[in-house]
Amino acid sequence: MLRIFKWLGVLALCSSLVTVSASEVNEDPLERTMLDIAQKLRCTVCQNQPVSESNSGLAKDMRDVITDKLKQGQTEAQIMQFFVERYGDYVLLEPPRSGNGVPLWVFPPLVLLLAVLVAIYMMKSRAQTAAPAVQELTDEDRERIRRAREQDRAGDE
Amino acid sequence: MTRSIWWVIIPVLVILFVLLGYGLTSDPRHIPSPLIGKPFPQLQGVDLNGQPVNLGLVDDKPTIVNVWASWCAACRQEHEVLLRGARRYTDTVSLVAVNYKDELVNAKRWLRRLGDPYQWSLHDLSGRIGIELGVYGVPETFFINRDGIIVEKISAPLTDEKLAAGVALITP
Repeated sequence: MLRIFKWLGVLALCSSLVTVSASEVNEDPLERTMLDIAQKLRCTVCQNQPVSESNSGLAKDMRDVITDKLKQGQTEAQIMQFFVERYGDYVLLEPPRSGNGVPLWVFPPLVLLLAVLVAIYMMKSRAQTAAPAVQELTDEDRERIRRAREQDRAGDE
Repeated sequence: MTRSIWWVIIPVLVILFVLLGYGLTSDPRHIPSPLIGKPFPQLQGVDLNGQPVNLGLVDDKPTIVNVWASWCAACRQEHEVLLRGARRYTDTVSLVAVNYKDELVNAKRWLRRLGDPYQWSLHDLSGRIGIELGVYGVPETFFINRDGIIVEKISAPLTDEKLAAGVALITP
């Protein structure tokens, strides 16, 4: 009986913890949007880190700029455009799918396609080459086989 | 039969190696500025004495805009170059500055101690003007021609040679 109470107590404690942690989630939707945009922008002073994750002063300033522009009602595309105009395509973590960025997107699948085609071609040409014709047995061969069989039989006895 | 396939593979490999070679030998820190060839943005602010100033073409002369901060070691290195340059080119170009993310006291003390080559320094405490100008870090220098177009941007400490080359680009 006592054990049941103990377990009930543990259960109650757990459920109370769950409600506490759930009620604490309180997110600012503007901040969410800001971070979404910041995630696509490169922190220009730290080689390869998004603006959303960097602690550098410039990244912090850029986050503030994004927040301000969102408050002014600007769209994500407008904000991205603002940074591209000032920092170039370099600021985009994902290279653009038009203009200078096209070769980057086209080249890898093209090379893969080429590799597959080459592999298929090679396998086909290998399958087409006929195996060398099997030679007829000569009388000498037959004689050797006969002798080998005889020896084998002799060994068995 | 199979040999003809090398006519496809080898050119692809060659292209790949050329591209890789180009990528590996070029400097990843050198990022071409999209602002070159564009008009310098019209930006307002206040200088270190609180006077309103307009960034852009100054006194209708070709203008050099230098971005500096007192906390920046490389700026101290190029400061001599700017002091010399300000004397040498005073008739042909305007030299102004953006004081980037700096405490007013420190910035003023810096200029008092080392000399002030600038007509004025716009005080950009928040770094917003820096972002408007696509600034990565200090020092950076913009060369603006008489039409207000950014002809050159140098993202490194200036040397006498670089300064002279920049001035040559904006003065007819």
